[in-house]
Amino acid sequence: MSDATGTTDAAEAPEAEEAPTDDARQAVLDQITAALGDAVLDSHIAVGRGLWVRVERDAWLEAAGHVRNGLGYHFFDYLSAIDWMPSPWGRYEYSAVDDGIRQFDPNAPVETGVAGGDTRFQVMCRLADIRRRQPHHNVVIKADLPDDDLRVASLVSLYPGANWHERECWEMFGITFDGHPGLRHLYLPGEFEGHPLRKDFPLLARLVKPWPGIVDVEPMPGEPAAEGDGEETEESS
Amino acid sequence: MGLVESSKLPKPLTSLLNTARKYSLWAYQWGLACCAIEMGAAFASPRYDVMRLGVIPLPASPRQADVVVISGTVTDKMVPAIKRLYEQMPDPKYVISMGSCTNCGGPYWDSYSVTKGVDQVVPVDVYIPGCPPRPEALLEGIVLLQQRIGREDMAERWRGDPLVVQ
Amino acid sequence: MTVTERQQLAYVDAQAADGRVNVELETDEGMILNLGPQHPATHGTLRVTAKLDGEQVVWADVVPGYMHRGYEKLTEVRTYPQVTTLVNRIDWLGSFANEVPFILAAEQLMEIQAPPRARHIRTILFEMARVANIVLFLGDLGVQLGAVTPAFYAFRDREHVLDQIEAVTGGRFHPNFDRIGGLKDDLPKGWIADTKAVMVRIRNYCDEIETLLFGNEIFEARTRGVGVVPAEVGLGYGLTGANIRASGVDWDLRRDGAIAGLAHGDVDWQVWTHPDGDSFARCWVRLQETRESTKIIDQLCDGLPGGPIMAKVPRIIKVPAGEAYVQTENPLGAMGYYVVSKGDLGPFRTKIRSASFSNVSIIPWLLKGVYVPDIITILASLYFILGDIDR
Repeated sequence: MSDATGTTDAAEAPEAEEAPTDDARQAVLDQITAALGDAVLDSHIAVGRGLWVRVERDAWLEAAGHVRNGLGYHFFDYLSAIDWMPSPWGRYEYSAVDDGIRQFDPNAPVETGVAGGDTRFQVMCRLADIRRRQPHHNVVIKADLPDDDLRVASLVSLYPGANWHERECWEMFGITFDGHPGLRHLYLPGEFEGHPLRKDFPLLARLVKPWPGIVDVEPMPGEPAAEGDGEETEESS
Repeated sequence: MGLVESSKLPKPLTSLLNTARKYSLWAYQWGLACCAIEMGAAFASPRYDVMRLGVIPLPASPRQADVVVISGTVTDKMVPAIKRLYEQMPDPKYVISMGSCTNCGGPYWDSYSVTKGVDQVVPVDVYIPGCPPRPEALLEGIVLLQQRIGREDMAERWRGDPLVVQ
Repeated sequence: MTVTERQQLAYVDAQAADGRVNVELETDEGMILNLGPQHPATHGTLRVTAKLDGEQVVWADVVPGYMHRGYEKLTEVRTYPQVTTLVNRIDWLGSFANEVPFILAAEQLMEIQAPPRARHIRTILFEMARVANIVLFLGDLGVQLGAVTPAFYAFRDREHVLDQIEAVTGGRFHPNFDRIGGLKDDLPKGWIADTKAVMVRIRNYCDEIETLLFGNEIFEARTRGVGVVPAEVGLGYGLTGANIRASGVDWDLRRDGAIAGLAHGDVDWQVWTHPDGDSFARCWVRLQETRESTKIIDQLCDGLPGGPIMAKVPRIIKVPAGEAYVQTENPLGAMGYYVVSKGDLGPFRTKIRSASFSNVSIIPWLLKGVYVPDIITILASLYFILGDIDR
């Protein structure tokens, strides 16, 4: 079965007004909201695909604890973070289509994604239950971190696998995890300065020699010549 | 022998020594990433057999190796190990850089943790382009190295003169 | 016995007694054994530092990062087709399998479905990547335990699989063949018959390996009971793939993951598990999975639908804003891509959930109290690829 949505999908024809619902994931979401109450700030269900829940930063450990012990999600998938600030250099290219370097506005509001978000950094983790073998038993928990206090509770006491993921998150974003047995470099050499996955960490090789965004591409066999200049086209075809 | 202090060794002696050296290379594989698999295919698979060129793979340690084939991405964290490996090899030693990552950084030319080319660390004799280069390309690179060795002058090495690429 | 032999024995005895005393004196502080970044047994540049008490490990530390190329940062500055090229090189033995979850995530965001023929061929190539990967694993397994011969068989038979992949995609590995909406090209003529012949070869190879390695009593003695991972611990660390199936957890994303872009639901196959959770179980499960993959490929080759190979996609691909996560059952385990898109030419952020990262994070826990030769056995049976750990 390649599309496992809620049980009511077969009954609801795809009409314009009624969107398909995902009852199974809705049930999981209801359980989480019932247990955490006000700590759940926002949520999002992508029908047949995933469940996102955004919690308060102080309820991070409690949320993971409830998901583990209350829902039985013992499988630790990953933990990471998203830096929502757009890169000041765009894609480091000079082209008519993507001119990030000249277009960056540092005062523009930061748009965040699924399940909302108020701050630049969001930490997220995905937990699942794989023993029940149904595709809807998983949840992505997100939490906003204030810019001046990048710390959040560590999940190592609940999921031992979080150890390495939190070390990588610290190293790449600079987020401190309270209660982690030892935050030290995982990937980078000890003398490395900076947090690479932050958007304001520049890729120096690209600043020195930007990738030419304007690429001459041959037309497909049978097609006329490419439409106009200054258009960034695919590498393939 | 006074031959070393004089300018050149006699041609027959040089060519004999060079022929002996180039057909008895002991190649150390410094396989880091994907190119290591193609290097393994060249060295260990019966189809692209490298031993027919006189090159034997798998020495027990770098101290017994003549040529090192560095294949795969070189990261800044790995560089001290490569430097140490190169210094452990006895002269005359050669370095083959296999794949675009070792040539110039390759597809990761803009990464923050990749060394853009192993020739920033060790002197390279033969560059083999490709991502990954086919095993035949590695064999071609070894043949080119053998041709270079054939044109060398041993006295230059023994005197410690800088080697000029022929 | 002559006098000299008795004297010799007494000498040896005295030396042995000295040795015992020396060993006890030295192990007060313990010795640190460094399986350095370059070592034939670590599948690449992984560093394991183990503190030993005699022959047993007291604690072990795993230092990855010697192959860290910064994938997640690099994907932010590339377009979607460029990321597809780059992402091949994470798990460099089964390369096509790395592209698939990323392409599926992008297709999810674009609300595009690949046509059925493309889905089937994608699945065939996906399973061939698995076969190519595990065939080499089985050969390398022998090398790490001291039996060098299986490696040559592995390379010989892997060449045939690579021939087939090359016939379709043009590249032995790193095919860069998957596109958002389908595949780059269709199959060449005669490919299906050739592939079936190659699958027969691979099944013979599996039988050979079974008698060479798994039937060998030394192999059994070295792997049975070594490195046991209880299912609960494995779940907490995020072990996936054959590692968790060898601990008795019956979970395979091809069957349980509801992946819309692959055709595993259309064929008849089974998932292999083993209750023991030791190194032998992990190796055995992978052997059975390879055989199962050959059967999947045979069935898919038989029932290949006709039709176009690519859906209608615009020439310049801009994926609408959103977040998607797709996980597939790659040869090493469960690999997933969390793609954050802002309606741009390239992803805004890609989180690559690689299987080996979680598989290797259990090693410090697993190596406690283990003997030194068993370190190699455990590393071999957990089966990681450095590109997958370090990304």
